[in-house]
Amino acid sequence: MKNKAEKKVPGGKLIRVTVETDVTMSKIVNVMFTGDFYMHPEEEIHTLENSLKGTKIDEKEFKRIITNFFENEIIQILGAGPEDFLEILVTALSG
Amino acid sequence: MNNVDVWRVLDLETNDCATNMAIDEAILFHISEGKVPNTIRTYRWNPSAVSIGYFQSVYEEVNIEACQSKSVDVVRRITGGGAVYHDYEGEITYSVLVRDNDPKIPKDIIKSYQLICQGIIYALADIGIDATFKPINDIIAGTKKISGNAQTRRKPGKDIVILQHGTILRDLDIKKMFSVLRVSKEKISDKLIEQVEQRVTSIRRELGDKLVDFETLKNSLERGFSKTLSIQLERSTLTESERKLATEFKEKKYGAKDWVFKR
Repeated sequence: MKNKAEKKVPGGKLIRVTVETDVTMSKIVNVMFTGDFYMHPEEEIHTLENSLKGTKIDEKEFKRIITNFFENEIIQILGAGPEDFLEILVTALSG
Repeated sequence: MNNVDVWRVLDLETNDCATNMAIDEAILFHISEGKVPNTIRTYRWNPSAVSIGYFQSVYEEVNIEACQSKSVDVVRRITGGGAVYHDYEGEITYSVLVRDNDPKIPKDIIKSYQLICQGIIYALADIGIDATFKPINDIIAGTKKISGNAQTRRKPGKDIVILQHGTILRDLDIKKMFSVLRVSKEKISDKLIEQVEQRVTSIRRELGDKLVDFETLKNSLERGFSKTLSIQLERSTLTESERKLATEFKEKKYGAKDWVFKR
């Protein structure tokens, strides 16, 4: 199952997610965040996406992973925030 | 005592999109290794091209078939941000590459954008356009965007290097721009074009249908960057090693399908 969601962050940028789950909608098989936001170092987006793969569909678990990722001081983000990543992921999976 | 900081400036060049992006990364690598000084360059795109931000999906942003039929190239940048249509006649692009530990560069990202963008604001003033910085990283004339900018910070060698590149709209053909960007046909209505005309402008429009030649724009940009950064510019060329690395980046990265279509 493939789900999508997007959000234009007020005063910020556009962030989209495409998330693929197993047939029973119990865990994430694949996830990709796209959009015109800024994040340094850029390649780290793969770390976030990889750490969400295999995760059971649970908002608390998503929040833990996303918060942990953005707490890493080398990650700098502009135009969107951790809460936007969480929000669109939850929206995509509840649609 | 002369303590003015000397940076390298490269002459206005025209290249295909993969070469343009490959040169930026090759310079970034060499600055990081301490092999070349901080550098400013200006360039144009031939063929005209769409560049997309690092995180963008090429499928979501670019009308690939239209690009193919109009011989417009597509490239993915190493910087975030949005899709840009780089028309050969319609815009000039610049890159500023500087060591992150340079005392001139504010640690705050938005302040660093503002400092470098001030060079473009000076350049626009030079040709008679009053423009201001609009955070995060836009430059507006009145209320309309005239320049978009993007940064990355990378450490491929010893030092972290900031690359800021951006585009200044010289002339704007909204219909052409929309034909290569992924905007649904219904959306390319007169109303949308009107809306975009309210949000985006070009040098030509701001000067009442007067076109400024590329040489003048390049010179104004160089003076503007020199002023905002309090630097002296020394005209030079890419080193042999930078050329070689740029060729490698072009072949293995920017010109390769797996990079352009990776998202």
